Amino acid sequence: MKLQLISLVKRNCKVFFKDKGVFFPSLLSPLILLFLFIAFLGNVYRDSVRSVAEGFELSGGLVESIASGWLVSSLVSVCAVTIAFTANTVMVQDKVSGVRDDFLVSPVSERTLALSYFIATYLVTALMCFVALGAGFIYMAAAGWHLSAPDFFLAVADLLLLILFGTALSSIICSFVRSQGGVTAIEATVSAAYGFICGAYMPLSSLTSWLRDLLMFLPGTYGTGLLHLHLMGGAIDAMAEEGIPYAVIEGMKRGFDCTLEFFGSAVPVWACYLVLAAAGAILLGVCVALNFRHGRKG
Amino acid sequence: MNSIEIRHLKKYYGEVKAVDDISFSVGEGEFFAFLGVNGAGKSTTISVLCGKTEKTDGVVRIGGREIDSDTKRMLGVVFQESVLDKSLSVLENLSCRAALYGMDKTALEKRLSELSPLLSLGEILKRPVGKLSGGQKRRADIARALIHSPRILILDEPTTGLDPKTRKQVWDTVGKLRKMQHITVFLTTHYMEEAADADHVVILDGGKIKADDTPLDLKNRYAFDAITLYHVGEAALKNLSLPYERVGEGFRIRLKDTSEATELILKHPTLFSDYEVKKGGMDEVFLAVTGKKGEV
Repeated sequence: MKLQLISLVKRNCKVFFKDKGVFFPSLLSPLILLFLFIAFLGNVYRDSVRSVAEGFELSGGLVESIASGWLVSSLVSVCAVTIAFTANTVMVQDKVSGVRDDFLVSPVSERTLALSYFIATYLVTALMCFVALGAGFIYMAAAGWHLSAPDFFLAVADLLLLILFGTALSSIICSFVRSQGGVTAIEATVSAAYGFICGAYMPLSSLTSWLRDLLMFLPGTYGTGLLHLHLMGGAIDAMAEEGIPYAVIEGMKRGFDCTLEFFGSAVPVWACYLVLAAAGAILLGVCVALNFRHGRKG
Repeated sequence: MNSIEIRHLKKYYGEVKAVDDISFSVGEGEFFAFLGVNGAGKSTTISVLCGKTEKTDGVVRIGGREIDSDTKRMLGVVFQESVLDKSLSVLENLSCRAALYGMDKTALEKRLSELSPLLSLGEILKRPVGKLSGGQKRRADIARALIHSPRILILDEPTTGLDPKTRKQVWDTVGKLRKMQHITVFLTTHYMEEAADADHVVILDGGKIKADDTPLDLKNRYAFDAITLYHVGEAALKNLSLPYERVGEGFRIRLKDTSEATELILKHPTLFSDYEVKKGGMDEVFLAVTGKKGEV
């Protein structure tokens, strides 16, 4: 099974990377999105930072640093889920082209095949997201680096966890898709909607309370919140060095979703990890159950 | 021992009886043709054989064993459409598929050295599958089916949509394989003339077996021979008191069998200076058995 799995994972990754019509747009879209974020939304977020700290003078560098942390965390949190859907097109294409049938006449089991798609999707998504995160780090460094080493590694861990969630979610949805058009429609819907519902494009704190509480039932929101916290937290904490009171700093963290609120109560960081990990585990379980069902189906 | 043995196989999808109580066997090294129109139950039977679909009832044995993951190693399948990755090279495709059968790099290289001369793989091994011609693609597909040295090669409508030259190439390759590797060939096809060289033919219709015999016996039973005479007047033919039809520059008389043709020639030798005797084809057999026209 090990040889089969390794070979299938290698093949799935190769097929994705050799399809230039899928690979290049997937690689470029986060970078284009980063540019668009900076060009079109940069000022909006800078103004938001200043408005939260109204009555206090924040240095331009710190405003820039907080805004860059927000932009990069928003970008990678969206990519972790949307790219996973794109990467899973290999699985759908295999159903459409009959390649899956060829695999299934060999001694490879449906479960091994499903696991190979899962691992390949995770690896491809991680690679693309870390390219985006790398570009984001360059932008953040240019804007003013306030990221501590623990926050750096925690952000990487957040992203890996969020990719696991995105991979499991996309694997479940794509397992029901039987056409290329179907996967394209899903990709388009997810790309358009996910950024809003996970709190990447707009802070949840800026939404009406009922909508905010509703969106807090979606596990991806917690992953975005963790990325906001670890990529912006250092810059927000640095506000203290400019004499900004603790209450304003906490208000900034709530205003930019570094501290998430669920029905009016702050959600602790450990709870965010718990929700995200539990969601990933449950979705993974559903994936396994689906493939167990497919394996038994005549 | 039979390569394939099927007894009372049934596969139902709810009320639909895709395969309804069929039994047949395929001998070791045999060239077996499985005929039927679309929806006759051929693909379902193959799917059960390959372990992709669970049967509703019956017994299916491959190499004397009930179907399990090990029987899959005995089968190589060439699908109607190429199922190799078009963006990858033939070698990348073959090495991925070989790994699915637990073959390491050394085993793959050894097998490739055996298959290369047979399928002329050398020239296409490093080229992407998407850039190959129709014939080259089919050679790559056959190489994929044979990569793990199966005992049975299943050809699922392998020449559908191919031009006559490529079809001939495919059949030349299969012929070489049978001669050199003594492999059992299980063919499904719409082209009736491709089944004429088979050792054994089963015709399926509506999920049931309608005929099971050698092509010769099927032709003798279901098809008529025909004798076509040239350079004779119609008046002379009328004297024979046999039904005839005009074909091009001659006349065709339909006969029950070859012995009737011999009798006719001996009885009227002066009429038979320029003539041809043709045995009935598999297309006629198929039409007589199923009432449906196969492709020619």
